Amino acid sequence: MNIMLACCAGMSTNLVVSKMEEAAKAQGKVYKIWAVDQTKIEAELGNFDVLLLGPQVRHMLRRVTKILDGQVPVDVIDSVSYGRCDGAAVLEQAEKLVNKK
Amino acid sequence: MFSKKFEDTLMIIAEKVDENKYLNSVKDSFTVFMPFVIAGSFAVLLNSVLCSPKTGLAQWIPWLSNLSVAFTAMNFATLGIMSIPVIFLIAMNLAKHDKNPEYITGVVAVASYCSVIPEVVTITVDSVTGKAAGIPSAALGAQGLFVGMLLTIVIVRLFSKLTKINAIKIKMPPSVPVGITTSFNTLIPIMVTLVTASVAGALFHLATGVYINEFVYQVLQAPLEIVFQSPAGILAIVIFSQLFWFLGIHGGLVISPIRNPLMAVAIAANIAAAANGQVPDQAVTYGFWMNFVVAGGAGMIFSLILAIFMFSKREDHRMIAKLGLGPAIFNISEPVVFGLPLVLNPTFAIPFIFNSGIACAIALFFTKIGFMPCNIVDVPFGVPLILGAFIGHGWQGTIVQIISIAVAVVTWIPFVLMANKEAEKEVMKKAAEAEEV
Repeated sequence: MNIMLACCAGMSTNLVVSKMEEAAKAQGKVYKIWAVDQTKIEAELGNFDVLLLGPQVRHMLRRVTKILDGQVPVDVIDSVSYGRCDGAAVLEQAEKLVNKK
Repeated sequence: MFSKKFEDTLMIIAEKVDENKYLNSVKDSFTVFMPFVIAGSFAVLLNSVLCSPKTGLAQWIPWLSNLSVAFTAMNFATLGIMSIPVIFLIAMNLAKHDKNPEYITGVVAVASYCSVIPEVVTITVDSVTGKAAGIPSAALGAQGLFVGMLLTIVIVRLFSKLTKINAIKIKMPPSVPVGITTSFNTLIPIMVTLVTASVAGALFHLATGVYINEFVYQVLQAPLEIVFQSPAGILAIVIFSQLFWFLGIHGGLVISPIRNPLMAVAIAANIAAAANGQVPDQAVTYGFWMNFVVAGGAGMIFSLILAIFMFSKREDHRMIAKLGLGPAIFNISEPVVFGLPLVLNPTFAIPFIFNSGIACAIALFFTKIGFMPCNIVDVPFGVPLILGAFIGHGWQGTIVQIISIAVAVVTWIPFVLMANKEAEKEVMKKAAEAEEV
């Protein structure tokens, strides 16, 4: 599964990415997880199975949902899990989004 | 304190700004162009550290001063002609949004812009004034940004409309490759667009006696620059940005379509002033914002972390402060903003919203009294505290940054103590409830 995170400059989401990778490894899962700047979302279309937005860019959800056009699930990362860099929780959120589809 | 209605209004503003394709294209274009602005300003730094016979290595190795032209050229190639790549990028981004051919639209916009700016410059040689072929630097550089943005929007709209008219499309047999068909089918719209732009530019010049880029600079960009650089203007912008952060929305990102062009203008003006032997006087640049407005994360989060380490009795807050310390040194505030959380948290609302404004005022004060110079080297996002201030604003910058961080620690402390009390009350309440049971 390919999980992409997006925020402004992709820096703060990168902190979450490393925690998610740790959590995935601990659970024995092989996922590709990475973070990009919000301007790169369109360029990455097709590369990810689920998109998670940092809560600080949640005002983009409506526009991004339109861009993704129902092809890929997208949601805003739960803000407390995000702030606490709770990799396992964010990973679970991503898995739930994919499975719901 | 913050009504739901107020919250909704801000959210709608953030969404509208994000969904507006013009603002979005401007924002994305400046995100792409930002590294060039920083590279251009580093050319100035290299020039002074290497080639200057007064301050650089050239004191000991005089030959190095020969390289000065190289760094001047690098600065010209990035900041000196920034209007051209920015116009190209905005046009491309708009075309992408409208699903039109991106590169052609970019070139059309650049060509249209070049057709309305002067192709002659007035020069004086040996006290004789005459005209010569050339493009004035004002038209290519930062002074052309706003006219460039506006013109690009108009031109791209026109070009996009024209490309969608079927009647002016040239028919091609199906065996002709798509690329060729596209290029032929854009030929007529290109011609019409360029004729419109150049004729409109000429008519404007005939009617008013000034070129449109000079006019837009005078009536729009120059006043905006003045407001942006004024203490009242920039403080209003900083606080507006923090209001978004209070909702947990990236305030800097929301205001970036208007903020980033004006910051690019400011650094370019500072560099130009320094090159002409004047004192740079545009305080508010990207480096200024990074070093003195969002030092340690928007809302002065590094200072909050220090205040928590010193005075907080709450284990949950101390845990988040530890987690957020590393990122905060790099001006990343999100772990604390969302983890503590500061979002919609009434206890910390006042310092969270106003601390960046206070820090900004402190830095402006030290600039005004002449202690801290206006920067000519911009600092990118991600350079740690202290070092960033030193690169951008010298040792004076480091001192001012430490002062503003210290002041912010002091303003955070009462609220950290308040949070302690609240937690105590909570514990007592729970204990009382437990006794009742």
